[in-house]
Amino acid sequence: MGLDRRAFIKFIVGGAAGTLFTPIPWKLADDSSIWSQNWSWIPRLKSGAVTADATYSKLCSAGCAVKVKKVGGLAFGVKGNADNALSQGGVCPLCANGAQMLRSPARVAGPLKKDGSAFKAISWDEAEALLADKLKGLKGQSGKVAAISGDGSGTANEVLSGFLAGLGSSAYYYMPSDQTTMAKAWNGIMGGSGQIGYDLEGADLVLCIGADIMDAFGPTVRNQKAIAAKRPIEGDKTVTLLYAGPVRTRTAAVADTWVPVSPDGGAAFALGLANLLIKSGKGASLGGFGEFAELAAKFGPDAVEKAAGVKTEALMTVAKALLMAKNPVVVVGSGSGQGGGVALAAAGVALNALLGSLTVLPEFPKAVSHAPDRSGLLAKDVVAWLADVDAGKAPTPEVLFVYEANPAYALPQAAAMAKTLDKAGLLVSFSTYMDETAALADLILPAPHPFERLDDAQSPYGLGKATYLLATAVAAPEKDCKSTPDFILGLAGKLGVDLGFGAFEDVLKAKVQAIGADWDALAAGGAFVSDRKGSAQADLGASALAKAAAAPKAQGTLLAALDHLNIGTGALATPPHALLTVRDTELYGKDLFVQMCAATAKSLGVSEGAKVKLTAGGSEITARVALNEGVMTGVVAAPLGLGRTAWDPFTKGKGDNVSKILAVSAEPGTGYSVWAGSAVSVAKM
Amino acid sequence: MHAKEFKIRWGMVIDVDKCTGCGACMVACQVENNIAPVTPEVDAWAGVAYDASNKLRTLNWLTVYEINNKKAFPEYEVAYMPRPCMQCASPACVPVCPVVATDKNEEGGIVSQIYPRCIGCRYCMAACPYHARYFNWFDPTWPAGMAKALSPSTSTRPRGVVEKCNFCHTRFQQAKDKARQEGGDPNSLADGAYNTACAEVCPSGAILFGDLNNPAHKVHALAHSKHSFRLLERLGLGPQVYYYSKREWVHRLGDNYLPNEKKA
Amino acid sequence: MDSKLFPEGIERCSLGKFLAWLGFIAIGLAWGGYAAGVIFYKGIGVTGLDNYFGFGLWITFDLAVIALGAGAFFTGFLKYILKIDQLKNIINLTVIVGFICYSGAMLVLTLDIGQPIRAWFGYWHPNVHSMLTEVIFCITCYCMVLVIEFLPLILEQKQLNKVPFLHHLAHQMHVHMALFAGVGAFLSTFHQGSLGGMYGVLFGRPYAFREGFFIWPWTFFLFVLSAVGSGPVFTVLVCTFMEKLTGRKLVDFKTKSLMGKIAGTMLTVYMFFKLLDTWAWATGVLPHMGLTFEQMFYGTIYGQWMFWTELVICGVVPAIMLITPAIRNRPCLLYLAGILDCLGIVINRYVFTVQTIAFPVMPFDKWYTYAPNWAEWAPSVMIIAYGFLVMSLSYRYLPVFPQEKGLSGK
Repeated sequence: MGLDRRAFIKFIVGGAAGTLFTPIPWKLADDSSIWSQNWSWIPRLKSGAVTADATYSKLCSAGCAVKVKKVGGLAFGVKGNADNALSQGGVCPLCANGAQMLRSPARVAGPLKKDGSAFKAISWDEAEALLADKLKGLKGQSGKVAAISGDGSGTANEVLSGFLAGLGSSAYYYMPSDQTTMAKAWNGIMGGSGQIGYDLEGADLVLCIGADIMDAFGPTVRNQKAIAAKRPIEGDKTVTLLYAGPVRTRTAAVADTWVPVSPDGGAAFALGLANLLIKSGKGASLGGFGEFAELAAKFGPDAVEKAAGVKTEALMTVAKALLMAKNPVVVVGSGSGQGGGVALAAAGVALNALLGSLTVLPEFPKAVSHAPDRSGLLAKDVVAWLADVDAGKAPTPEVLFVYEANPAYALPQAAAMAKTLDKAGLLVSFSTYMDETAALADLILPAPHPFERLDDAQSPYGLGKATYLLATAVAAPEKDCKSTPDFILGLAGKLGVDLGFGAFEDVLKAKVQAIGADWDALAAGGAFVSDRKGSAQADLGASALAKAAAAPKAQGTLLAALDHLNIGTGALATPPHALLTVRDTELYGKDLFVQMCAATAKSLGVSEGAKVKLTAGGSEITARVALNEGVMTGVVAAPLGLGRTAWDPFTKGKGDNVSKILAVSAEPGTGYSVWAGSAVSVAKM
Repeated sequence: MHAKEFKIRWGMVIDVDKCTGCGACMVACQVENNIAPVTPEVDAWAGVAYDASNKLRTLNWLTVYEINNKKAFPEYEVAYMPRPCMQCASPACVPVCPVVATDKNEEGGIVSQIYPRCIGCRYCMAACPYHARYFNWFDPTWPAGMAKALSPSTSTRPRGVVEKCNFCHTRFQQAKDKARQEGGDPNSLADGAYNTACAEVCPSGAILFGDLNNPAHKVHALAHSKHSFRLLERLGLGPQVYYYSKREWVHRLGDNYLPNEKKA
Repeated sequence: MDSKLFPEGIERCSLGKFLAWLGFIAIGLAWGGYAAGVIFYKGIGVTGLDNYFGFGLWITFDLAVIALGAGAFFTGFLKYILKIDQLKNIINLTVIVGFICYSGAMLVLTLDIGQPIRAWFGYWHPNVHSMLTEVIFCITCYCMVLVIEFLPLILEQKQLNKVPFLHHLAHQMHVHMALFAGVGAFLSTFHQGSLGGMYGVLFGRPYAFREGFFIWPWTFFLFVLSAVGSGPVFTVLVCTFMEKLTGRKLVDFKTKSLMGKIAGTMLTVYMFFKLLDTWAWATGVLPHMGLTFEQMFYGTIYGQWMFWTELVICGVVPAIMLITPAIRNRPCLLYLAGILDCLGIVINRYVFTVQTIAFPVMPFDKWYTYAPNWAEWAPSVMIIAYGFLVMSLSYRYLPVFPQEKGLSGK
């Protein structure tokens, strides 16, 4: 019996028809629904117990109290910690990425040593030996070992600065911020002690001059919480929020009034207000009041209008509101959170003093006894120091430690600063991520992600009360990292520098004990809040202020750099999930967008979408124009945090780095490096 | 269009005057719901290179719109408007779906989206005037290792299906389970027992979530405030998301009005 | 070489020339095939579609070819049900054009949906409230009807027809063709109407939305009418194009003119109701939603010029041209009117698909523009190439044109 053509066709057709009566096609159809949902290449969910551990997330500069959510022991998300007094359940747009950033593609996997133009993996022991060897010869030589820290609140600074002190160096610097500017004003020029605070919780009026408290200034989550608590959705508002600055920032968006003030006019505006307050009979018990009053008198409404672009009527309205309020608080800062003048900071202190709302937080006792005082270090000027190094006026460091900072990217005139950093004999970065400074470094000794390590924060700048928080390791280490202070303690031991502790945990325990807090409560996510007040004794420093305030007004188009928390910080590029929150009027494709109002665009001869070159401080960036009527005439606003050259494919090469064109100048009278509101030239490309 | 009645109507009241547009809600939403970040250049070989800056290709169940009063400096004002799925009483998307992959049928009034059922025709996206629906243009890709621990709340979706905000529906289930275990009534959850990821994370407290039908829930009274309005109310979709603002121009941007027309 | 396969008494070009022609067609098929491969492998993210424009070139293409393919059901209806015998001269062509259009549209749809593996869910889990469900069912059923209508023509191929069984089968199918034509007309009326309803029911989309009566039966019949007002002339255009390409007379002008008259009549009725509908929309629906007519348009790409082109230049003008015997009976004017007519319908389908979703309904939102990219053009070209292929094979081997022998003298 052969299989002829006919039989074959019969077999096929019959077979096909018969198959329909079997479960095969139906099963296949059913399976296809399942397959098309569960392709093997699509990640699966992990099952396991869902838990949440409280810690303190230091991904944003002020930090957020969070609970790290875990499934089967692996961190997958973050939620707020409602029991914590600082964040009260809120989380900022950076810390909300905390779990994802544990597995960021930009993480440094372990210690790396520069080998030609690439990096070579080394062990922690090798790294320690290498550094110990290098530092041995530098012990006791002033300025040969230096450090830059971007952590304004951690006790790790005591370990690092104490270590440097032990090696005979005092070259310990903080990255510039509103906090350092205020330290220069309050602790430096005015001779005060402790830390300036802002009691937003107790205020019935908050006037922000420059300081974008909802987005860039201080602990933004706490700021948002404090204001929101006094503005219930229904019922009476018990706080008035005023914003004075060149751009309708996020603070301005929710403020009751926005007073446009030119980027370099904050101090004049503040002094103008002080003048009106003094005229209304307000006084302050700080030293040098008479001299200050004389200075303020020079800032009559006309002078203010000329220097700050604020109309008399607007100035009077604000002054009146301040006088009418029971507990007004003035918060001063720069829209970019850095580079503001000492004059503005001092004027802010003076205003609060006049209004009777000057808040000074006491410093917590040190744990590392021979570490230098924090306030003194904060008042130093890292930009001026690097300029001196570059000019040969200060010794070039043989070893430069960079902790929780990314100076090669985030300092003003970043390109020039990066060159100076590169001059250091051995640039050591403790960065968790492959940031621009790490990429430049000779040695990368990655610190654990904030969820993987023990850390702390003492009174993050901007709070109204002395507050202490503890971060504990709540997530299993993803990479071969080592806590920086622990590494330094080990190194100190090798070099015979006695810091009094062998492990960072002991440092923190001593700290907690010294401030009289409860370790367990802190480790459980609580905040230690002290009602103690610091001494408000200081001098108004009018002589320096007078020179600074008399500085000639910058000419031409002014740059208002903006710090948006969701875009990232200098030390943290936009996390992959936060990219969605970056507006397409800030970044589109590879193009950075700068904002200006139609009048400015017209006077510059550019239109929406036009490609422009912005030049200042010996450097240039390219961008496109986005029209935004929320930017004062004559001002170009530009977001910081973009234009990364390292990091990950999500951020690298996207936009341009506005820090490059922040032109530094020395403030008259104080000599302090300032760049907020510097002039910029805009040319059509 | 006949709207189905529900005893419980989960909804939001979003205080536009409080929202600072920080974006924390958008991040929390992505984490909770396993939305993969837009992987740049993944498809450069196919002639398509884009990244998260192309807002027409991203997946963000919750989008914070920046709105303004269209005036010139210095009268210019801005506000931020978070836009989740409106969970409409008469959803435009549900009747158009050819395969019943989306439905409004469960007590609570949340419009479901059944990923394994969706064929990806995108008719629902064309129907929704809020652009609350998103399409998986590609398979989701997380950076290496990031998907090691995903949120246990939401299954991952393959390419080719539509997805949208479901008010963190798993949290609803969990809240009901918890109520049952504790001997409570799963159909009468206390205010706050069920909360969405965005409302929970919001530092400004601008997003309030609850049962619009339950007088014990804050949103109930707020939704009836004269300061509350809904987006595109005139179209008759009947959103379960209310916006709250004391600013006239914000209200006026909530719907279309003829040039000389007074707001209703 | 393959002359034994040609229809009885008809000459065709040499096989080599024909293969060269097929090779040319293959380029289009290959390009589209490559794009389809990329799309199936990567996902439709490789197209120019996005979250605002979930519908684009493909859906426009589908709606347009389905409208233009309407010549098949309507001519069938007139030929078999209303017994207009003269249409037998072109009925085969209308069936083939219809088959190409519908099968092509279905091919594009498998690319267009995000989960082609689940395409059958439309039948298995239908939502009876969805217009799209109606469309899916009717299009599939009607496509099957078209296969049935096409089949006897294939069986009449000279060699196949020698097989007694096939010969009788073809004969029997012909006898019962009126039944299929009736079913076809019924199904087509439904899905053409549902396609209109698809947009009319989008109450969140002011550009397309019509209320109550203006959805059913109004929009429903607008789409049916616009399809039958253009489908017949499209067939005429295809026929004329084939005549120019082959240099042979295939259908007498009288039949073409009759088709023009049929389409013209329907187009005139359509334009009457369409203008009323547009007026009611601009003065009733829109103001009710707080919108004005002007707000529906933006810039050049979504400008009013397209609106007026559709309604006047490609609507009223061809309608007048086609119902006026003096114009219709001049070949070049008939073809011009036909081209305008078809163009108008394509614009109509385009604006209903794209402009509908381009209009920013939320007052704070903005207009975005959509442009298809290569991954959408290539499959569209592939479908056109597929149409050329089917038509070329049919022309060469099947007795499509009963008049050809008489008209060409060979």
